Amino acid sequence: MSEVFLRRVEGCAVDAKTKPTQLREHETLVEVEQQYVKQFVSKIWNDGISRRLSTITGLDLGERIGIIYHFWQNKDTLHVRTTVQKTSSTAVSIVDIIPGAILYEMEIHDLFGVTFVGNPWMDKKLLLPETWPDDLPPPLLKTSKSPEIRKRLKLEAE
Amino acid sequence: MKMSESKNPARREETAGLMEYSTENLVPFGPIHPALKEPEYFKLVLEGEKIVEVIPRIGYVHRGLEKAAEGRPWVQNMYMFERTCGICSFVHSLCYGQAVEELTIYKVPKRAKYIRLIIAELERIHSHLLWVGLMGHWAGFETLFMWVWQDRESVLDIVETISGNRVHKSMNAFCGVRRDMPENMEDHIVEKMKYLAGRARYYREIIDTEETMLERTQKVGKLSVDTVEKLCAVGPMARYVGIQNDVRLNDPYAAYDEVPFSIVTRNEGDVQGLLRLRLDELIVSTDLITYAVKHLPEGPIRVKIPPVIPAGEHSSRCEAPRGEIFYYVKSTGGRTPDRVKSRQPTLANLPAALEMLKGQTLADVPIVLTAIDPCFGCMDRMSFLDTETNKQWTWSGEQLRQYGIKHYSPNQSRNSPILKETHP
Amino acid sequence: MASLTPTYDIERFGAVLVPSPRHADVLIVTGTVNAQTKDRLRKVYEQIPEPKHVIALGACAAAGGVFKGCYNVGQGVQDVIPVDMFVPGCPPRPEAIMYGVLKLLGEAK
Repeated sequence: MSEVFLRRVEGCAVDAKTKPTQLREHETLVEVEQQYVKQFVSKIWNDGISRRLSTITGLDLGERIGIIYHFWQNKDTLHVRTTVQKTSSTAVSIVDIIPGAILYEMEIHDLFGVTFVGNPWMDKKLLLPETWPDDLPPPLLKTSKSPEIRKRLKLEAE
Repeated sequence: MKMSESKNPARREETAGLMEYSTENLVPFGPIHPALKEPEYFKLVLEGEKIVEVIPRIGYVHRGLEKAAEGRPWVQNMYMFERTCGICSFVHSLCYGQAVEELTIYKVPKRAKYIRLIIAELERIHSHLLWVGLMGHWAGFETLFMWVWQDRESVLDIVETISGNRVHKSMNAFCGVRRDMPENMEDHIVEKMKYLAGRARYYREIIDTEETMLERTQKVGKLSVDTVEKLCAVGPMARYVGIQNDVRLNDPYAAYDEVPFSIVTRNEGDVQGLLRLRLDELIVSTDLITYAVKHLPEGPIRVKIPPVIPAGEHSSRCEAPRGEIFYYVKSTGGRTPDRVKSRQPTLANLPAALEMLKGQTLADVPIVLTAIDPCFGCMDRMSFLDTETNKQWTWSGEQLRQYGIKHYSPNQSRNSPILKETHP
Repeated sequence: MASLTPTYDIERFGAVLVPSPRHADVLIVTGTVNAQTKDRLRKVYEQIPEPKHVIALGACAAAGGVFKGCYNVGQGVQDVIPVDMFVPGCPPRPEAIMYGVLKLLGEAK
C-alpha cells in the first residue's frame, strides 16, 4: 500500500515543483511553496489520494512560520509543509476545497497571527480570550513568553 | 460551508459571507452553567423555528497547553496532556506517548500494548455510557440517565482497581505502562464485561422502542456522506453515515492488530443511528477487553528511556471514544519538546455539528449538539436571534432542555407520523 | 456530577443542583480560572444572595493545578472571589466532594 501511495504523491509533487521525502516507513513529508499549495491539496483530495485531513499545525521555524497539513490514508501519513513570513503574514486558505479546515486555520490565526486569505472567519477569535490586547503578539511564537502574557491578561495574583 | 438556505432574501444576502449580520443583535452572555461542565457558548441565528446559522466560540477552557509543553520535560507533558480531558484522558497520554516513542530506538513491550488496549477500551465503555446517560437527560428521560450512570460506576471501579484513580489514570509511560494488571482480576473483569454487554443490549432496546427517545432522535441531525467527509468529521460522526473511519482498523496501534476487532458503522445518518452505533461499539469493546484479558502475554510492562529525545518529528493518531485524536511532536534533541500539537476529536467534529444544526428546530438543539459527544458543556448559555421577528434572547442549558421536552411532550407525540409507523 | 447519581447521591443530604445563582447557597467552582472566565465568575458570585459560600474543587481551582504557569491560566479561584473550602484532588473523588460540602455546611451552622 505504501509504495502506491508514495508514487501517487510523487506524481502530485512534480506539478508543484517539489519532491517528497520519506521520514520513515509510513510517513512522508512534502515541502510545497505557497503558490502551489492549493493546487497540491486539491489534487491530493480530489484524486482520492487522501480523504482524511487530521489537522493543520502551525510552527515557529525561527525565520518563518511553518504550516503543516497532515493527511492520512490507512497506515500512510502525508505531511504537506509550507512556510510564510513571520509577521503580518498571509497564507492561502483551503476551505473551498476542504470546508472542514475552517477551524484549523482559525486556530493558527489565533496562535501564530497568520491570516488565511479566503477563510470567512478570519475576523473571529476561536480560542483566545476577548481581552487579548491588540498589540500583544500571538502566543505560540517563540518570542512570546507566558509570564508576560499572563501579566497583560491580568492573571497574576492581585 | 454552504451558503445560507434562508427564504428571506435580505437574510440570504447578509449571511452569504457567513458573518455579515450585525453583531450588536447577538447578545454575548456569560457561559457559566450550574451543572459544572466546561463553559462554552454558541450564538444561533433563527428564522422562526428553524436554525439558519451557528457561530461557535470555544475559548473558555483555552489554557495554553501547547505553549506550556514547550517548556516542560517530555515526561511531565504526558501527565499534563492527560488532563486535557477527563473522559479521554488515557488516550491523550497514549497518543502523545506513541508520537514521542517513535523518535527513540526503544520498542513497547507486548504486555504493555495489551494493557494499553484494555484501559483504552474501558475508557471507551465509560465514555459511551456517560454519553447515553446525557442523551437521556437532555431528552427528559431522567431514569435512563440515572440507570446508565449507575452502570458507569462498575466501569470506574475496575479502572480504579487497576490504576488507582477513576478519571486520570496516569497509566502510561514512554514505551510502556506504569502499573501491571492486578492478579486474579481476570474472572471479575470477564464477568463485568458480560454484565455491561447485557445492559448495553437492554439500552439498545429502549432507544429503539421508547417513545421519548424515538421522537427526539429519529430523522434528526441528518448529514450526507459527502458533507461528513468534506467537514473532516471523525469517529462515530463519520461512522454513523457509513464511512469506515476508525483508527483502530485503518491504522492499528497498541495491540489492535493482534486482537480480533470489528468496526461498527451505520447507515441511518441520524441521531438514533448514533445511539445505536455507540451502544454497539460498547458491546464490541467488552469483547475486546475479554479477549485481551484472556490472552495477556507475559513479559515486562515497560522499557525505561533516557530523558533526552532524539531530534525529529512524528505524528500519531488514536481512536478516542469521540473520534480520532491526533498528536504531532517535534524534537530538536533536547529535554523539552520544540513543538507539540494536539487535536481533539471535538474540534474536528464541530463543523459537522454546526452543519447538523442548520435546518433543525430549536427544540432539537440540545439533542443534536450532545449527539456529537462534545468535550465541552456546549449548552451552558446560548444566545438566539430570530431574523423573522428580530427577537433576541438568551437561554441557559436548562431552559433549552425544558423547551425541548415540552415541545416533544406526550400530548403531541400521539400525532407523530414516526410513531404511527412504528407503533400502529 | 457523580455525586448526584445513585451510588453517591448527595441529594440525601439535602443538597440539590439549582439552575440559577439567585437560588443558590453554595457555589462550587471547578477547573482553571482563565482570562475569559474571570469576570464571569465574579459576576456569578455577585448574583448569589447572602449568606453564601464558595467551594473550590480540585487542584486547578485551588492554584492552577498542573496548568499553573500556562499563559491563559490564573492562580486560582481565591484570586477572584473569596473561598471557604478547598477540596483537593485531581480530580477529587465524589466522596471527597460530599465530605467537603457537608463539612462546610456543618461549620456554617
